[in-house]
Amino acid sequence: MSYKTTPVNQFPKLVSQWIKKYDVTAPAEAKNGLEYKTIGDPAEMMLNNRVNTTYAPKAFFLPQSEKLFTVEHGRFQAPELKTKPRLLLGVRPCDTRAFWLLDTVFLAKGEEDAYWQRRRADSLVISFGCDTPCASCFCTSVGGEPFGREGSDIQMTQLEDVYVFEAFTEKGSALINKLPEADAATVKKVKALQKTSAAEMPKAFDNTNLRDHLYALFEDDFWKEVAETCLGCGVCTYLCPTCYCFDIVDEVQRGERVRNWDTCMFRVYSQEASGHNPRPNKAARTRQRVMHKYAYWIDSINEFGCTGCGRCVVNCPVNIDIREIVSAAQARSAKMEAAK
Amino acid sequence: MANIDALRQEVSRVLSEKIVDVVLGFEAGSLPTRNQPVFIHKAKESKRLVDNGFGSNNLAALLAQRPKDEKIGVICRGCESRAIRALTVEQQLNRENLYLIGVPCRGIIDWRALERAVDGEILAVAEDGEDLLVTLKDDEKKLARAEVLHSACRNCRQPDPVGTDVLIGELPAREGLAQRSPDVAAFLGKDADARYAIFSEEAERCIRCYACREACPMCYCTECFVDHITPRWSESMVSKGGTQAWHIIRAFHQTGRCVSCGACERACPMEIKMEYITDRLNEDMQDMYGFEVGANDSDQPPFAAFSLDDRNRFKE
Repeated sequence: MSYKTTPVNQFPKLVSQWIKKYDVTAPAEAKNGLEYKTIGDPAEMMLNNRVNTTYAPKAFFLPQSEKLFTVEHGRFQAPELKTKPRLLLGVRPCDTRAFWLLDTVFLAKGEEDAYWQRRRADSLVISFGCDTPCASCFCTSVGGEPFGREGSDIQMTQLEDVYVFEAFTEKGSALINKLPEADAATVKKVKALQKTSAAEMPKAFDNTNLRDHLYALFEDDFWKEVAETCLGCGVCTYLCPTCYCFDIVDEVQRGERVRNWDTCMFRVYSQEASGHNPRPNKAARTRQRVMHKYAYWIDSINEFGCTGCGRCVVNCPVNIDIREIVSAAQARSAKMEAAK
Repeated sequence: MANIDALRQEVSRVLSEKIVDVVLGFEAGSLPTRNQPVFIHKAKESKRLVDNGFGSNNLAALLAQRPKDEKIGVICRGCESRAIRALTVEQQLNRENLYLIGVPCRGIIDWRALERAVDGEILAVAEDGEDLLVTLKDDEKKLARAEVLHSACRNCRQPDPVGTDVLIGELPAREGLAQRSPDVAAFLGKDADARYAIFSEEAERCIRCYACREACPMCYCTECFVDHITPRWSESMVSKGGTQAWHIIRAFHQTGRCVSCGACERACPMEIKMEYITDRLNEDMQDMYGFEVGANDSDQPPFAAFSLDDRNRFKE
């Protein structure tokens, strides 16, 4: 596909045009730093922020709480899904990769989730390539890249005073086809930047055979040690761009069936009606979280269910760092193997 | 701050002399502005301990789930020692199983405020008296510690540990500690609509991850009201009703029990301010019952106490 370009100082004008047609949603200043907001004025967007938003943009396709339907006077009513299309702008490639991963869950053939499907179809995603990753970032350790393309319609790259756009889908191309073509020298610079950014990113861990290492430790005391200081809150999973577990609740007083995010880190998540809990402690729950991301996802689609965005690393109230868990697991399993 | 060598030595001693089975403290975290709570099981591991301004948690919150008969040493700042006292009064902890190692406290640094103040990837932070020396990629910055102190610590009335078995280091002279929270005073200075607007704006960001609950030493219910299904006490969603109910009931359950450590706020990824509510409720407990949480080893919090010959009557 071809590369298009626009000067950085002309970009707000372009965004203003988009605002007329779309709910343009971009990182903007919030009380807790940076969050996605539907903007009315291009001046609100903060694309060049050093850190990512706290809350992952998966919520635009899988809202934390969603009304599935209403029952009023015994009559079923389907909810109205928003019709104005959304343009998600400035999404980091770790987060677009998460959309791509979650598509495999919610758009699985024959099992499409109507709500996710509709919102994905009504949206355009413009990712913003990363050239300065944070200390908590580790996308290249889990199959991603600072300029990864998965899950986006268009990727924008900044080269000093110009933005360069590359469309990966037809609807992406339709949005930018009137912009001037980038010249060969510019394209060359973009490609070079993409290459160096990926190469310069330090690896948090070597992911070779990670799945097997984790399976080898399944019954080990390792998890007890790892979870010893875990508080059992939902920060890591609720901020995670790829966690998608939910619970369905009938809010009887509202007459609504609601789908809420849920998390394997909560005791009540696996609590059964009998009172039995198959994951009775924090060790079992922490194991589930890590195994799901680095082993069970591999089993199902041969990709890690983690995009290395680092939100759990940054925000865990007790600084349990999933990169350290993975590295320690590999070391422990290798030691066990050697002792055999 | 305690002399770190003296602290490690004491931890090493109580472990090797089998006075305790394990010691709870902080070690350096995976990022320069974080500590991790750590359980030290062996004397030689005591070198992992650190004592700096980045111990964000109230370590007392990690005690509830330990084995009942475990002898455990806890490195305590003022708020940890008060929480342990309050938990002992509420019969959640057996004081005889605890060995409390008091350390002087200079307040906890709000890492989010610090990262925003320097605006750049922090590579290292050194505490130098009243200053913080922050190393960035191509720069070094000096900040006043007070500037990035967490609000709970800025408002702290009792930073010194109480009821400990040993104190490592010397307690500094304390002057001018505010007796009432200035944040509460500012909140009460507004009219009801403005107060509701502030509360709504804070609660609106809630994602119901319950980090505030889990980080709180005083939230120890085996089943929280929000997890209760029959009856359901609050909406399950991140709706206005659901999140506001959570924050109001959570605060109400803390009346006369909150030790004002601010661990809830520091754990909150959405940076929701909550302490002004519990501080306000605690002021009521002081004014109405002369009760102060953690003040001694015997007084029950007024809302948790009852007596068969209660001197107060509903009707004279």
